[in-house]
Amino acid sequence: MTLAWVRQGFVKQAAVVGLAMASLVAATAPGAVVAQTGPLRIEITDGVIEPLPFAVPDFIPADAAASQFAAQISRVIAEDLAGTGLFREVPKGAYISNLTDFSAPVNYTDWKAINAQALITGEVAVEGNLVKVKFRGFDVFAGKQIDGAGLQLVGGTDGWRRIAHKVADVIYSKITGEGGYFDSRVVYVSESGPKNDRKKRLAIMDYDGANVQYLTNSNAIVLAPRFSPTGDRVLYTSYESGFPQIHVLDVGQVQQRVLSAGDGIMSFAPRFAPDGRTVVYSQSEGGNTDLYTLDIDSGARKRLTSAPSIETAPSFSPDGRQIVFESDRSGKPQLYVMPASGGPATRISKGSGRYGTPVWSPRGDFVAFTKQNAGRFHIGVMRTDGSEERLLTASFLDEGPTWSPNGRVIMFTRETQGPTGRALLYSVDVSGRNLKPVRTPEGGSDPAWSPLQN
Amino acid sequence: MQTGTKISLLGHGALVTWALFGGAFQSEPLPFTVQDVSVISAEEFAQLSAQVAAPEVAPEPAVLRDPAETPVETPELAPEDAPRPQRPEPAPVAPAPEPEPEVVQPEPEPEPEVPDVAPTPPDLPEPLSETPQLAEPEVGRENDRVAPEPIAPPEPDSQIADVTQEEVTPDAGAEANQPVQDASQQEAASDRIVTEAESESDNPTVLQSTPRPRLRPRNLAAQPDPDPQPEPQPEPQPEPEDTRAADVSSAISDALANLGEVEAPVPSGPPLTEGERNGLRRQIAGCWNLGTVSTEVMRTVVVVGVSLQENGMPESSSIRMLSFDGGSQASANTAFAAARRAILRCSRSGGRVGYDLPTEKYQQWKEVEITFNPAKMRLR
Repeated sequence: MTLAWVRQGFVKQAAVVGLAMASLVAATAPGAVVAQTGPLRIEITDGVIEPLPFAVPDFIPADAAASQFAAQISRVIAEDLAGTGLFREVPKGAYISNLTDFSAPVNYTDWKAINAQALITGEVAVEGNLVKVKFRGFDVFAGKQIDGAGLQLVGGTDGWRRIAHKVADVIYSKITGEGGYFDSRVVYVSESGPKNDRKKRLAIMDYDGANVQYLTNSNAIVLAPRFSPTGDRVLYTSYESGFPQIHVLDVGQVQQRVLSAGDGIMSFAPRFAPDGRTVVYSQSEGGNTDLYTLDIDSGARKRLTSAPSIETAPSFSPDGRQIVFESDRSGKPQLYVMPASGGPATRISKGSGRYGTPVWSPRGDFVAFTKQNAGRFHIGVMRTDGSEERLLTASFLDEGPTWSPNGRVIMFTRETQGPTGRALLYSVDVSGRNLKPVRTPEGGSDPAWSPLQN
Repeated sequence: MQTGTKISLLGHGALVTWALFGGAFQSEPLPFTVQDVSVISAEEFAQLSAQVAAPEVAPEPAVLRDPAETPVETPELAPEDAPRPQRPEPAPVAPAPEPEPEVVQPEPEPEPEVPDVAPTPPDLPEPLSETPQLAEPEVGRENDRVAPEPIAPPEPDSQIADVTQEEVTPDAGAEANQPVQDASQQEAASDRIVTEAESESDNPTVLQSTPRPRLRPRNLAAQPDPDPQPEPQPEPQPEPEDTRAADVSSAISDALANLGEVEAPVPSGPPLTEGERNGLRRQIAGCWNLGTVSTEVMRTVVVVGVSLQENGMPESSSIRMLSFDGGSQASANTAFAAARRAILRCSRSGGRVGYDLPTEKYQQWKEVEITFNPAKMRLR
């Protein structure tokens, strides 16, 4: 019986093979050669990475009052885009076309001739205290307007810079495919005076260093300001009482109050959770420093870590489910990730040296950190599991990274060496390109980037 | 015979002998000169000897013509103006080497007795790595532009252009108009992004010492296999023939269905060679700029279709996204926009209009499907 089954199976198999051979012969017949039919197919894997050339002719003023705003707004847009390092402005001297009418059709040939791949045109009108800005973005080589890059924005005359930043944000997001970050602000510690008598006070400015305003005086040392997820409040650490305490400050009304952890208890390194109600911070009691959370409304506290080592610099993941922090439980400072409610922590930093001040990217894909190794300080990024570590900077002292709202740029503090050394703010693209200082009227440290403004 | 007859015979014989052989003893013939002459007719001689009349002067001067229209031959420089070639200085004669002192060959040492058993080699430290190490670290240059092939920075006076061209200036003293062109070079580029930290001089990939050759292992049998081969996996169990028959029948039905599809357009003529395909690939890749796209777009692969005219120019209205993979619709749109810019921009480059493709094979490249895959670019 077994033999009969085997024989039957062999016959079936032979039939199957024969059928397959017949189909193979049919498929390889001269009239059915697939390789000879259809369009030419090629694959391109090697491109170039270079700034995209763009042109921003001065926006057209609709009336005499709008003349001063028209030129200024177009300048801010150009500086925003070129400042990213991803775009390159075509000099005005190379322009062939002169735009005089916002509604007139674009002569793409003239802009192609000067290799402007993106073109931004606009018109500005002033009505009382309002500025109206109409703009369009064009893909020159495609010969058409970029989808969604045609809007009208209205704002107060004193907020013309924000309108310009918003225009740049729209153009940036439509070309790059990711959100912009120009209409955002940065809170930082403004530093003045010699190194041995440094005056520190909180300041807030536009992301590009414009519109600086001071939030505190320099009577007490202030440290590590952090924005709330909505950008309306700032947490910071102040030595006003003689020992570090966490304060919360309402940015709009410039009013602050203390989030007391108890008499004589040092609390520092605060940071908001994504819900905006919970604060995670470090608390030092009896010589030991651990992580805690605080509900701002109820005042309820919860201890997250309980170890003899120092745990500090906590930062929530964007989904609020995990916390990355710094701990020296292994003997020297390293980075760890644990659940937001506490629990076992996993070390993610694997390289040599000392790691600190981790910050989770708003996109959730990277953790920025400070690294000290071989006498140099670095700002670096790594995946949230510690892989793909990459150092972006190297200097005498770099520290305190903060992410732009779109997770593309990192701002940090760079301090120069020597008795006359200064602390300045720098920014760098997450790829490591476009390292540059951020202009501030005085020295600056501890920057914290706000979310995009509404 | 009479004496007179004898004298006559001897005299005549001597005369005949002199007549026959006397010329051989003559010296060189007298010199004479030869001159070529040509024969001309009487009319030609008359024209030559006639008085040359002065040319008639026109009452008005002739209209001057643009020298550009009438090519003027550049006079050749007189030999006196040409710089005289410098006579090469005689090469210094190397002093004759002093005779080497005689080398006294030492007495050969007596060869030691060679034992039958090979000596055990001394224990030497193992090399750090068996893999060859780079003699020079691969350190890229800091540059805003990343391209598949690094490009050296251009000369200070050169303009940035798509193609490299030499500077042409008019020759000094030349009377004719000459075309003038400025020197241009491609913008400097690196093959990858170099951060400040990576551009530090203390690069750990620099070879610090020469790797020593690996010693022959003492006991080959006891040496563990450094790269153990994975154990052969057990052969998968053959599937039941009923399943295989179903698979084959479905494959046949698919093949038959595809046969119907491929019957439609069949480009005629020889297919493009691999070199021609690579040429088109390179032409487009030079304009595929991913410097402004987001990280999500860098993970998105788009397939773009385009129709090309016979002169190689793409029909802009025909550029369309056929499919995408690895990202959202929004990121695919951004990736498609970058791909479309690349196709349109590089169709004209450096005076070339249209992609450089063989015209006789137009039917082969009339329709092109291009897959833009940024996987390699993510690593830069």
